[in-house]
Amino acid sequence: MALSLRSAYRKVWQTLSSIKTGVVLIILVVIFSAAGTVILQRPITDPDDMQRAYSPAMLRFLDGVGLTDVFHTRWYIALMFLVSLSIIAASVERFPNAWRYFARPYKSPDAGFRKVLPTQAQIAIAGEEQGLSAAERALRHMGLKAERIVRTDSFSLFSERNRISEMAVYIVHASLLLILLGYIADSLYGWRGFLMLTPGNASNQIEMKNGSSRTIPFSIRCDGTGEDTYTDGTPKRWWSKLAVVDGGREVQSKEIVVNDPLVYHGLRFYQSTYGRTGKIDKLILNATPASGTTRTTQEITLSQNQTVALDSDTTVTLAEFIPDYVVQDGRVYARSNEVSNPAVHLIVTSKKTKSSVNFWLPEIPGIAENASSPYLLEPKDLKTGLYTGLQVSHEPGQWAVWAGVVLMAVGLTFVFYVVHMRFWVVPVLDANGQTALWVGGTANRNRDAFELKFKQLVERIQKELVPAVVASAQPQATSVSGTTIAGR
Amino acid sequence: MARAKVEQHPATGMTLVVMVGLSIAFLLFIAFLNVVKSGNVLNEANLLYAALVFYAGAGALYLGFGVTGTDSYIKFASLSTWAGLIANTGAVAHRWYESGHPPFASIYEMLLAFVWTLAALTLIAEKRYGVKVIGTVTMPVAIVGVVLMQLLRSEVRPLVPALQSTWLHVHVTLAMLAYAACALSFALAMMFLIQDKMKTEIFLAATSIFTVGIYAAILTRFERWGGFNVIAWDPENKAEVFVSRGVRLFVTIPDLGWLMLLVFAAVAAPLVLYILSRVKKNGNLLAIADRAVFISILLQSLALIFFLLRTREGQYPSLDAEGLYPTSLAASPFILSALVGGIFANLLYLLLLWRREDLERLLPDADALDRITYKTICIAFPLLTLMIAAGAYWANRAWGSYWNWDPKETWAAITWLVYAAYLHMRITRGMRGRVAAYFAVGGFAVVMFTFFGVTYLLPGLHAYA
Repeated sequence: MALSLRSAYRKVWQTLSSIKTGVVLIILVVIFSAAGTVILQRPITDPDDMQRAYSPAMLRFLDGVGLTDVFHTRWYIALMFLVSLSIIAASVERFPNAWRYFARPYKSPDAGFRKVLPTQAQIAIAGEEQGLSAAERALRHMGLKAERIVRTDSFSLFSERNRISEMAVYIVHASLLLILLGYIADSLYGWRGFLMLTPGNASNQIEMKNGSSRTIPFSIRCDGTGEDTYTDGTPKRWWSKLAVVDGGREVQSKEIVVNDPLVYHGLRFYQSTYGRTGKIDKLILNATPASGTTRTTQEITLSQNQTVALDSDTTVTLAEFIPDYVVQDGRVYARSNEVSNPAVHLIVTSKKTKSSVNFWLPEIPGIAENASSPYLLEPKDLKTGLYTGLQVSHEPGQWAVWAGVVLMAVGLTFVFYVVHMRFWVVPVLDANGQTALWVGGTANRNRDAFELKFKQLVERIQKELVPAVVASAQPQATSVSGTTIAGR
Repeated sequence: MARAKVEQHPATGMTLVVMVGLSIAFLLFIAFLNVVKSGNVLNEANLLYAALVFYAGAGALYLGFGVTGTDSYIKFASLSTWAGLIANTGAVAHRWYESGHPPFASIYEMLLAFVWTLAALTLIAEKRYGVKVIGTVTMPVAIVGVVLMQLLRSEVRPLVPALQSTWLHVHVTLAMLAYAACALSFALAMMFLIQDKMKTEIFLAATSIFTVGIYAAILTRFERWGGFNVIAWDPENKAEVFVSRGVRLFVTIPDLGWLMLLVFAAVAAPLVLYILSRVKKNGNLLAIADRAVFISILLQSLALIFFLLRTREGQYPSLDAEGLYPTSLAASPFILSALVGGIFANLLYLLLLWRREDLERLLPDADALDRITYKTICIAFPLLTLMIAAGAYWANRAWGSYWNWDPKETWAAITWLVYAAYLHMRITRGMRGRVAAYFAVGGFAVVMFTFFGVTYLLPGLHAYA
């Protein structure tokens, strides 16, 4: 009973840690992610658009299975969890072996190892010491340091480079797990919201996507906002002067633009949108008496609901400002908040006659009583209110993500471009009983380039041996397969 | 099994070279006359036109090799690619100088960079890795790229706020380098499959599936009574016509839909015949399938010609608005490149069909090609990784979140996953050669979908490209 349980466990572990499983999981992630791009997704798409795109039965099915919010459903998260498990299992399964390569280098090759190594050569030498020093010089010439290893009755040489390369794959997979961890942390503990400010106002209430409001422990004050445009009107730059007020004091201020946020206590404030509130800021008028001898024009500045005296008798009030007006059934309505068709309703009151005149700019027929106004009012300038739309986000996990990215870049560089090379030089007796130098090498990747390097090493050793080489001896270089090492 | 074969022409190699050379000279002369009229020789448009001419010349020479089997065409094709690259570099430099930033702000500029990188990598592959016929695949892609660019708006436009970031340059540079490396790896993987003795009929099936896919995507614009929907074009403002914010106005070209449907049937025929030949185990059907490919090329050319003619002339009605509106090739860059791409793919299949032995002779052996493909992906994969990372960092700074499951982002991640699968296939016993090559080919298909398909078929945040 216990035996079958163990073997079952073994089977599960082997499947989980196999590369085939990894590839199958990759393919599953691909399929479901692709589905998430082709099927309309819920939070982003308007409910109306969704109902227009799919029949009610289809929509019910898609909602039920979770295909309308693929990336946040339980089973997608479970899939990501499985992927992480598979990465961990595959790494744990293979790591001990790789660690052995890394921590305990094989410096002294025995006869069996020397016999089967694919990349090897044998060079005839006059004496052991001469051969070894020639090899040392050759290795040094190639930029490698040789280590003398003590064997039972002789020395041998061992030289290696970039041992870290054996760990490279694990670094890459660990970095992937780090990124996933960061993303999960952000999904669980991170949040995003929106903050709209007008110049001069401060707020500590963030609007969340689901409509609720979130209070933050400090406030943001907007000291100004604006837009620079190109000559053709397209936006060039949106900016906002922001200040952070914490505990009653201003602790930080910054002028932010798109791509350059304000960061304070882990919260980031991004310049997201910019626009006009549709409310009036200031109206500048020229007021001229309609009748009378002195008809001097005065300039009046009014803001919403403000009353200004034109003379001892008459006052004017800014009663209404409609950014985009439309007339229907004899009444003036606002069609939208965009300042595309503005109308201003002024009330001119005369104390003496106790009458009020509804003065409209522009003069809306049937509603405006401009003719009976004691003053002629002409608009000179209209300043409407501006707002700045800030995106607020808290992403505690992003540091794990960026760290993971950097680690992955390092890991990939090592995986693809850093080769772990090992060379051994052992004095041996050849077939005729003469002293010879056995040279062997391995590389963990890019083997065809390595073969060339090995050939260069052998030639270099031969060159270093030239002054004292035995005249009749011929150096030979062979590989186990019997073909000459030709590199390629 | 009996396959249709074209007789090898006994003509000398020089005939076609001379013909192509004369055509290039003629086209350049016409351009020169145009230049004399406008007075400015080395402007970007002219340099780009020269690049197109040279790349087209290279493509023609490669296809000429396909028809006649003369090896020297390859050499001249390579020279033509060099000339094209020089002209292309001039165009890039001019654009950079005029706009004040590297060419990455619009799809026109991105294509400029992509085509340049593709030509450069082609020459590197030819010189360094000795794969001399790689241009047969990469040059048609470059030609499609330059043709697209001739249509797209090329004025230097100032950057909107979200694009004013160094991370833009970093992200797009990495994307263009990565995609060019992926294109190269695709070409190499195809060549591996040739050398790995993959049966020609499987190439037939693959080419047919690709073309069927293209026409299926094109037919999403089919209107009920045989019309074909294209985006309306405003010739005065040189821009697409919008009904309301973000919603484009479509006009319906009558009867073009029927033609597209007919061509769809024609490109599906080889695939159907292939499936039938497998089911009925009848080899003769394959010979008919090859002829069907030839016919489908003719019909695809017909579709292209009619598309060109109808979009350039005439005003068309719309289902969404009153009145008649004109359209333009510039309003349908993806449809045009899809049509041209389909023709090129089928021509390449014919090249394989007629010249397989010559190709096998000219190409390195399968094992070498497998290794070179791997090396190319060793370049492409880190670039893809860094591209996604740079995009995420830039998104974080611009929009407050590094990952939004936007279709473009998601498909970039899918691309990354497919190439990751390739790398894992290569270390799995038994999957190294063939299966890994399939993933390399699939990876490039995903790259093309990420670059073109997402913008054409799916909506999202990535509105700029």
